[in-house]
Amino acid sequence: MEILLQLLFSGVALGMIYAVIAFGYQLTFATSGTLNFGQGEALMLGALVGLSLVSTIHGGPWLNYWLMIPLVMIFGALQGALVEWIGVRPSIKTKSEFGWIMSTIALAIIFKNVAENIWGKDDLTFPSPVSAKPFQVFGANVQLMQVLVVIGAVAMMLAVELFNRKSIYGKAVVATSNDPDAAGLMGINTGRVITFSYALSSATAAFAGVLVAPLTLTGATMGTSLGLKAFAVAIIGGLTSGIGAVVGGLILGVCETLTGFYISTGYKEVPGLLLLLLVLAVKPAGLFGKAAIKKV
Amino acid sequence: MRNRKWGLYVAGIALLALFPVVVGNPYYIHLAETILIYAILLFGLDIVVGYTGEVSLGHAALFGIGSYTAGIFFFKLGVPLVLVNVAASIVVTAAFGALLALPALRVTGPYLAMVTLAFGTIVQILINEMTFLTEGPLGIKVPKPSLFGHKLSEFEFFWFVAALMVIALVAVTRILRSHLGRAFQALRDSPVACDCMGVSVYRYKVYAFVISAGLAGLAGCLYTYSEEYISPNTYNFELTILFLLAVIMGGRKTRSGPLLGALIVVTLPSLLSDIHLFRGIATGAAILGVVLAGALLARKQKTARDVAIPVASVIGMAVFSYFLENIVDWRLTIFGFMTLFVVYYLQDGIVGYIRGTLEKFRPRQLAPLAAWEANADASRAWAPPAKAGEATGNLLKADAILMQFGGLKALNEVDLRVARGAIHGLIGPNGSGKSTMMNVLTGIYQPTRGGVMFEGKSIVGNTPSEIALAGIARTFQNVQLFGEMTVTENVLVGLHHTFKSNLFDVVFHTRRYRDEERAAHQRAAGILHFIGLADLAHEEARNLPYGKQRLLEIGRALGLDPRLLLLDEPAAGLTAPDITELIEIIRKIRDHGITVILIEHHMDVVMTISDIVTVLDFGQKIAEEAPAHVRADPKVIEAYLGSGAADAAHGAAAA
Repeated sequence: MEILLQLLFSGVALGMIYAVIAFGYQLTFATSGTLNFGQGEALMLGALVGLSLVSTIHGGPWLNYWLMIPLVMIFGALQGALVEWIGVRPSIKTKSEFGWIMSTIALAIIFKNVAENIWGKDDLTFPSPVSAKPFQVFGANVQLMQVLVVIGAVAMMLAVELFNRKSIYGKAVVATSNDPDAAGLMGINTGRVITFSYALSSATAAFAGVLVAPLTLTGATMGTSLGLKAFAVAIIGGLTSGIGAVVGGLILGVCETLTGFYISTGYKEVPGLLLLLLVLAVKPAGLFGKAAIKKV
Repeated sequence: MRNRKWGLYVAGIALLALFPVVVGNPYYIHLAETILIYAILLFGLDIVVGYTGEVSLGHAALFGIGSYTAGIFFFKLGVPLVLVNVAASIVVTAAFGALLALPALRVTGPYLAMVTLAFGTIVQILINEMTFLTEGPLGIKVPKPSLFGHKLSEFEFFWFVAALMVIALVAVTRILRSHLGRAFQALRDSPVACDCMGVSVYRYKVYAFVISAGLAGLAGCLYTYSEEYISPNTYNFELTILFLLAVIMGGRKTRSGPLLGALIVVTLPSLLSDIHLFRGIATGAAILGVVLAGALLARKQKTARDVAIPVASVIGMAVFSYFLENIVDWRLTIFGFMTLFVVYYLQDGIVGYIRGTLEKFRPRQLAPLAAWEANADASRAWAPPAKAGEATGNLLKADAILMQFGGLKALNEVDLRVARGAIHGLIGPNGSGKSTMMNVLTGIYQPTRGGVMFEGKSIVGNTPSEIALAGIARTFQNVQLFGEMTVTENVLVGLHHTFKSNLFDVVFHTRRYRDEERAAHQRAAGILHFIGLADLAHEEARNLPYGKQRLLEIGRALGLDPRLLLLDEPAAGLTAPDITELIEIIRKIRDHGITVILIEHHMDVVMTISDIVTVLDFGQKIAEEAPAHVRADPKVIEAYLGSGAADAAHGAAAA
């Protein structure tokens, strides 16, 4: 029982990380119908830049963990804007799905390779900002960092939702995602909104990177599999629903830790794909997604 | 022309046959073998990427499944027969392709890319984990196979691969030239129109992916025998990107493109491992880039801004190459930049670029009309008359259709009865719900409530392609032709339903397929004569003037042998003489027993030819009477001109 509970706890923490990344996919999908296939790499870069700031590897420590977070998010935003500028904007102009998929992947490959050359190919440990000593909840061990991950992830998503609903800039984002042409005619610079959504999406990913880094190892390859799982989450929950991302993330996170423990760690990637195919077969728009009516 | 083509084929086969004998060096023979194997896979990938326009990021995994199927059949099951293993690889990989494509292609958007990406990762993990089948990271050793009891030598196996590559080349070319290939191309040009021609976009996308997977399986199987050893790490994400790069770099929608692309990506790793060679190539590319850009600028074809980024990037690459000490570490970065460059500046690939340049000097001539096309008989346009059904009564019955978009009721409890053999006008001011009605009748929208009966059967909930095959054809208000296909091909897509041939018939050009293809071409020629586009049969549809495009849409719809034809503003944008012609055509269509629903804003057209006219306003039916009565109906006048006008008209009528 305690083991099960323990697995549930780590599944939830993992799932919330997936949810934040999936949320990032949704942000750009809403404004432009495109996704950053290098979202995992944005997370990885965030974690590694954070590591350089708080640890000794590049002459530091320069900052403590909490002060580092805003800097990393700014870095993430710039990186996201760069991806949009190089990889996405030209393809939106030519309406080429192949174009943005291939160029965001190409950029992801470049980022990963550059990171390997700067930070090396080996995984590094990220100093934990809080005590790593677990405490007991109903007999199961929980790390404070896991709780922080959940809180941080929820706070991030809530902040973005609030921004979209309350601020005038947020309304521009919502308007663009509803109808880009009409929003453009109303004087909204939709190009800038799309750039902004990419910046926000990568900033979220970078934030997720520094959240998850103390719990796992940090390295150039850490992002790929996280980004991929978040794809599954985004499809399971629906590409248009924030709640869907959270629920999808929790389902996948828990499924994975359970599979990893009860079946084999080698197979823990499998339920994600199975769930993905199952959801697409049964409810293609995702558990919480709305099927769009295409107008002719 | 034909002779030259055959000469090319013979030269190609001779080259393949003589290559090992002339070269003799096993290393180069193996390299060439790999190129041919990749080419087989790329032919298939091109069907998905080039034709249907979907992106697959799982082809390395499919390639791996093909490899491991052959490996497992040989190593675990002890099947020594190479042809059995080839067949097994194709079938197993195609089955995996279906497993992926069936759910992933149900929705439009980047889903296939996402699902195949996940699949690629999982397959690699599973190959590593399922040691009882795959031996995990240890890999499987497979010797060169025997064919009919004779163990193939290095040379002979090359010929075996070459023969299969030629077979794959012929098969893929035949598939793409058949009705299947036309469907693949049509669904990319206009998915909606494709569905409404009875060619289910979903089904044909899945077909395309499964065929593509089968070819990946074949390639994988040959790869196993070629390498004689397989291990999981070969089939990684990098390989998938390499395949995609090869297809776009070579040139989409061609066979020579994948061959060239395979040649490039197979030699690429060795190019990227020698720093001196790379520096030479980067410098060469920079010089070429500057010269090309200079030429373009001098001829004022491009502005300085257009060429700035590519020129800066090739120069940057050259400079970068001299700073590098260790190229291996930066291999992937270079690879990434190459991908970006190809995606943006070489979209049509090398083959496409060369072709485009050549056409500038010698514009492509349209193939002349064949004698049978020029002399086709318009009476062939019509399908042999079906069994004479009841000649009277309602062909279509729509009951209390409610179509709600959020809070807006685009159609509010509208009834429609369309009598067999009638021309039924449907008019109303803009936004009154006419086109929504069309979309409900053809299955593009599912009505919120209400029923539609066609020939006594309910069609609500059927897919657009099912409804089209049941006998309802349509044209579109905003023209939806298959722009990159010729006029004849557009009509042939409409005639898709006349084909019963399957993949086997197409690949082997069986008698059934040849008969069907001939019959379809003759009918297409007949239809083009009927709508007066016979002279333009080989022109690309997007090059037609607007009015002709509208006529072509009617022709394409006639190919479907409809019993009900829905025309959505066919006269929009037509000149006065064109309109007279159009009226004549619609009358003739009716005379051939096809019932017509006509949406039109040209009142003279509607009033001249309609037997009965339904008027919609704000989603409500406000009148349904003979044309003469509609014209005098105060409610109709009010809808069009406002209430004051209605009073005036009424007063005038009374006076």
